[in-house]
Amino acid sequence: MVPWLLLALPLGATAAAGSDKLLGVHPSALAKYTPTKSNTWKCLDGSKEISWNAVNDDYCDCPDGSDEPGTSACPDSRFWCKNEGHIGAYIHSSRVGDGLCETECCDGSDERPGTCPNRCKEIGEAYRAKRDAELKIQKTGSKIRSTYIAFAHKERKRLEDLAASLEKDIVAKEKEVEKLREIAERTESLTQAALDHKRQSPLYQSLLNHNKALKSLKREYKKHADKEKQLGQILDSLRTGYNPNYQDMAVLEAVRGWEELAGLPHINDVKKDGEESSTPEPESEKTEEAVDDGLWTADELDSELDDLIGTDYTSLLLEHEDHINTPTEDSLLFKITSYIPDAWLPQYEAWKDNFVDWLEKLGIVSEESSGSSTEATRAQQALTEANAELAHMKREKTESESDVLKIFNPEHFGAEGEWKKLDDTCINHEVGDYTYELCFFKEAKQKPNKGGSNFSLGRFQSWNKDARPGSPEYYSKQVYQHGTRCWNGPERSVVVLLTCGVENTIYSVQELEKCEYQFKGTSPALCLPPGKEPQNHEEL
Amino acid sequence: MWARSVLGIVSLALVFHDALAFKEQDFKTCSQSGFCRRGRALSQRAQEAKSAWQSPYSVDPSTVSVATDKAVVQAGVKSSLYPEVNFGLEVRIQEDGAVRVRMDEVGGLRKRYDEAASWALISEPSISKNVKWVAGKKDLRATYGPNEVVVSYAPLQVTLYKNGKEQVVINGKGLLHMEHFRKKAEPAAAVEATPAAEGQEQTVIEAPENPRAWFEGADEDALWEETFNSWTDSKPKGPESLSVDITFPHHPVVYGIPQHATRLALPSTAGENPTFTDPYRLYNADVFEYLASSPVSLYGSIPLMHAHSEDSTVAVFDLVASETWIDVSHSTDRSTETHWISESGILDVFILPGPTPDDVFAQYAKLTGTPPMPALFGLGYHQCRWNYVSSEDVRTVQKRFDEENIPMDVLWLDIEYSVDHEYFMWNEKMFPDPVEMINDVAATGRKMVVIVDPHLKRDNNYPAFTAAQELGILVKPKSGEGEYEGWCWPGSSSWVDFFNPNAWDWWKSLFKPYQLEGGKWSWTKSTEDVHIWNDMNEPSVFNGPEITMPKDNVHYDGWEHRDVHNINGMLYSNATWQALAVRSDPPKRPFVLTRSFFAGSQRFGAMWTGDNLGTWEHMEVGVKMVLSNSIAGLSFAGSDVGGFFGNPEPEMLVRWYQVGAFAPFFRAHAHIDTKRREPYLLPSPYKEMVTDSLRLRYTLLPVWYTAFRETSVTGKPILRPQYTVFPKDRKGWEMDDQYYIGGSGLLVKPVTQKDVREAEVYLGEDEVYYGYFTGETYRGAVKGRTVSVPAALDQIPLLVRGGSVVPTRERPRRASGLMKYDPFTLKVALSKDEGARGELYLDDGETFGHQRGEYVWREFTAVKSGKKGLRVSSRDLGSARPAEAVEGASPALTSYDRENKYARTLEERDVRVEKVVVVGVKAKPKSVKLEEGGKELEWEWTPGVGSKEKKGGRAGVLVIKDPGVKITQDWDIVIL
Repeated sequence: MVPWLLLALPLGATAAAGSDKLLGVHPSALAKYTPTKSNTWKCLDGSKEISWNAVNDDYCDCPDGSDEPGTSACPDSRFWCKNEGHIGAYIHSSRVGDGLCETECCDGSDERPGTCPNRCKEIGEAYRAKRDAELKIQKTGSKIRSTYIAFAHKERKRLEDLAASLEKDIVAKEKEVEKLREIAERTESLTQAALDHKRQSPLYQSLLNHNKALKSLKREYKKHADKEKQLGQILDSLRTGYNPNYQDMAVLEAVRGWEELAGLPHINDVKKDGEESSTPEPESEKTEEAVDDGLWTADELDSELDDLIGTDYTSLLLEHEDHINTPTEDSLLFKITSYIPDAWLPQYEAWKDNFVDWLEKLGIVSEESSGSSTEATRAQQALTEANAELAHMKREKTESESDVLKIFNPEHFGAEGEWKKLDDTCINHEVGDYTYELCFFKEAKQKPNKGGSNFSLGRFQSWNKDARPGSPEYYSKQVYQHGTRCWNGPERSVVVLLTCGVENTIYSVQELEKCEYQFKGTSPALCLPPGKEPQNHEEL
Repeated sequence: MWARSVLGIVSLALVFHDALAFKEQDFKTCSQSGFCRRGRALSQRAQEAKSAWQSPYSVDPSTVSVATDKAVVQAGVKSSLYPEVNFGLEVRIQEDGAVRVRMDEVGGLRKRYDEAASWALISEPSISKNVKWVAGKKDLRATYGPNEVVVSYAPLQVTLYKNGKEQVVINGKGLLHMEHFRKKAEPAAAVEATPAAEGQEQTVIEAPENPRAWFEGADEDALWEETFNSWTDSKPKGPESLSVDITFPHHPVVYGIPQHATRLALPSTAGENPTFTDPYRLYNADVFEYLASSPVSLYGSIPLMHAHSEDSTVAVFDLVASETWIDVSHSTDRSTETHWISESGILDVFILPGPTPDDVFAQYAKLTGTPPMPALFGLGYHQCRWNYVSSEDVRTVQKRFDEENIPMDVLWLDIEYSVDHEYFMWNEKMFPDPVEMINDVAATGRKMVVIVDPHLKRDNNYPAFTAAQELGILVKPKSGEGEYEGWCWPGSSSWVDFFNPNAWDWWKSLFKPYQLEGGKWSWTKSTEDVHIWNDMNEPSVFNGPEITMPKDNVHYDGWEHRDVHNINGMLYSNATWQALAVRSDPPKRPFVLTRSFFAGSQRFGAMWTGDNLGTWEHMEVGVKMVLSNSIAGLSFAGSDVGGFFGNPEPEMLVRWYQVGAFAPFFRAHAHIDTKRREPYLLPSPYKEMVTDSLRLRYTLLPVWYTAFRETSVTGKPILRPQYTVFPKDRKGWEMDDQYYIGGSGLLVKPVTQKDVREAEVYLGEDEVYYGYFTGETYRGAVKGRTVSVPAALDQIPLLVRGGSVVPTRERPRRASGLMKYDPFTLKVALSKDEGARGELYLDDGETFGHQRGEYVWREFTAVKSGKKGLRVSSRDLGSARPAEAVEGASPALTSYDRENKYARTLEERDVRVEKVVVVGVKAKPKSVKLEEGGKELEWEWTPGVGSKEKKGGRAGVLVIKDPGVKITQDWDIVIL
């Protein structure tokens, strides 16, 4: 801001000299615009020597256009507007003498006298007022930004603490797993032989086959259901996005057919006289499918089939045996005493008490029903679960550790961690019939306001790849890619352009190309403390 | 990863090509159209019968009546097939020598449509009072100048002779057939339906042998009802088609009958080894992704055909508004036979006697008018896309052009500006501030063009629809009751019937940008800076037969759509043109772009070649199509730069901008599914190349504007293909890839092929031409010569014909209007005889002041002076030829006031000549002086070849710096 004030001095001096030979010359180049003793002048590129009278005579003599800084005669030269009271600026020579009073040249020096009033005072004032307002926003924003940074630090602390406490838990869990493994192995060896024999039962074998069949059916069912869903999505996007320009009645019929099938209202339909916008609700009431007695409904299939498939057949086998061998006997574990030499009994009883106690603690056997013949599998199950918990803890720990690394990584949440606060923060903007949702670092979505399916516009891919990581330009752009594919078009994607603002908002959404969106928004995370921004190379 | 993405591209490309396909099955071939089938079968029978064939039509000599005061003759005509039916023939000779042949059924069951002329012609042509018809025993004769018109009685035949040589023969092949109106025969099934008395003898009716079978064929073919795909045409009037053969016995080549994607010189469709197997069809249609070489009908129709030979150019203008098929064949390599088959309407054929292409242009312009002077901005660059999505988008695009210093005059909005495709009604969510947006665009001297299509959404909250409904001016379905409903962009729609006189005033009122008295709706959210694009006016109906209206729809006065189909689109742009002209006071020149057109559409603005593809083939055929339109009167034409569909590669885009910069109408447009491709988005060096083309266009605006003046007065086309400039040079007849710009002497051959870096340009005369950019000399020859011109990607093969003075403005700015006070540069290209001539026409470019004499029209000449000297002069043409300066002046101007308002403005603003460049100066001059005042001027001479030398190489160039003369002033520069 200071340089132009400094420049005002020498400028004033030359203006007093009042030579229009210097019109449009940048102050730093004034020295180059002096005639030789023989009243000639050399083009700045040195290519030609011309009469000093030919400078600014509205005729282009120099190949580089340097002889006409103050006219439009040379096609690609520049005109310097002093703009006293505001900031000096270059304009392209094609704008000199075009009769327009552009803001960039607020002093009107590029036009015939009397064409453009000098508006630099008001434009300068407006400019400064705007700058001040922006500065205020920047200040406020930067305060918020510092809370984001503080949050990042807290978050790092939290994550580090979490990792530490997980570390402790993991050690404990590992011990527990060790014990369970021991138990499981012992029970297993006790029962393995008997169990193997029982598993030869035709009933068991048949059950296994049934299970396989169920699993296969389920897999196929899922495949079909997925396909149907995809098909539905394709048809939905066809319905909402089809291009009537193709004038293709086949497409129109497909859309109408789908609407009928899916109970959707007609899109693009014309309201007839007095008709309210048609509401599809009454039609879309689901007609209950008649189901044969005892057969499962679709909902039941969805919710209960997995349980059925997950049945522990070994336990079932044993329960089945128990059931047909009524009355009940002591379980193997308790009956084993009959095979143990008396001398060993005391040690065995002690071990058994300890063992059963463990089993009870783990909920594998209840005190009352202790003695079922499924201890082995239950022990195995307990081990599996404990192992899973352990793995989960380890994963959580790794994640916390890697999150800690991301927080202050310039390519993730910024060198100061200023973006961490926005991780998973969602903001909305409504345009026309849609609400656009942006969940930072996650996903952008298009949600129809009048109902219908959401479209993913893409998942977070990168910051501005064209800029240096860590620079403000780097954080001024986010790219979300690989959203739902458009009918007959690309996958949806979003470029989010961000500037400093006191709020996290999106203020503009435009689909500049088919299925390629541009969001414009603000975030305090971009508000650097005034004075701390990197040097602007403003031309002054 | 690499492999995958390559695969991705390949499969996308496949999908793309798959999707880009002309839907053949949507449009009829001749064999799927009953009357065309009948017409072609007739021709087939005639060919088979050979010399035994004789037309059944003859003049009844007893009915011949010759007017005494003017050159009109009337006669009754009979067909031996139907002696009870009467036809009336009238042949008129117009003041300019054109012959009009009209025939209609007289006293028939119904009336044939006879109003096409009232829409296409500017006025009833004046009939000659000097030419006299002489009735003989066998014929009627009229002789004038070298011409003689003979109407032979039996069989009926009309022949134009020139110097005793047949030029045009109507019904020479005996294919004339006007199907008369008849009653539909009761179906035979009705006999069965009536309870026949028991025991009564069943009378078997032997079908008598049809005595007309030799001519009409044995079986009735689709006379009463016709089905195509799922549509049935009820044809309530029955057969009424018209077949006529027109022969040019001494003309080997024909041009015209746009619009078809084919060569300028029309390839044959009949005879031996025809190029196309179907006739050329004229039936305005919205053809999706049309083929780059095909006789299939497209968006517009001009039934005008030039026939050309070394010593004569003639034309026929078949003024019929219904679907028409035209076969072209050559029985010898010196003749052309054509066969015109129309579905309805009277016979109304104009024979334009020429004898030169320029005469034909004038004769045709006299009938259908000339293009008026366009608003200057219309000649600038138009930036369009489907769609700029918001006012923010519009402002950003404009800003980007300015940041890159790329000139642009007009920003366009396609259909998505409107809410639910209800034209005029802004989608306020995306365009919350339309008027402010328009004003922001207009602030830099630019304009906006906004689309308004002819289909109105059937929505009771849409003021345009409800008003039209209330006025009862919507097209009716075949019942004649209610409103026809069809499907277009907004869904269910109806169409305004501009044949209804009540539609016109209402349509004009809609475009008023201010509140009307009485609270009637008008487009208050627009300004005078908004101009209009009329699309889909064929009309395009998505669910109609052949993507248009059913032929049995009913228009005003009970005419069927079939009768008026081809002029329907013209009425729409005509109405819009008038609406824009009267929306302001004083009126300003409108800009209207239309897709559909007919003969006469040149009076109502510009056209473009519709939805082309972003392929090299379409770029190439686009040039030919624009040339074809040019010679058919519709000069203000262009193709979408870049191609509507697809994503052109940078090289293609660069070449396409070069093509566009040399088309009268210069617009880039793109489909909604394409990537953005505004010039500033291109990478270097392509961006700079495109920018150069755009800047070149702007520096040459004086040339374009001057060419438009000539067209507006004479009807000579803006783009002049080789045969129109050198009619005698056989080698140029088939050329349709190089052309001259008006009378400027600029000859351009745009490159329309990939990887081409050199162009072969044909010079059809013994004259020197100069490379526009290089000053390189190219010498033609008496017998013509082909020269190689460099055509690197950044080079346009552009030559200046020796003997021309080309006025330019070398300061391209953001928009054309900002250049109005800029100085001129004159490029004087000396001929081999060391002379040159050129013109410059200027006016304010926006009002109708030119019709009141507010213009400047200059002539520049260079003539030898003394032994070695040269005199370059500027003279006033307005004073010399006031009556032929501008079109549309009423009353015609008889004098010119050099101090007129416009000329004074130029003087006050000191609009001057800043530079004179004389090309082809062999020797260094001794002195260059302005004669007025005798001052020695500053000048610079670069050695090189002289204009009259035989050798090649760079021309010697004399550059005269700022001679200190105003453009409005007479001056002389003497070079010694």
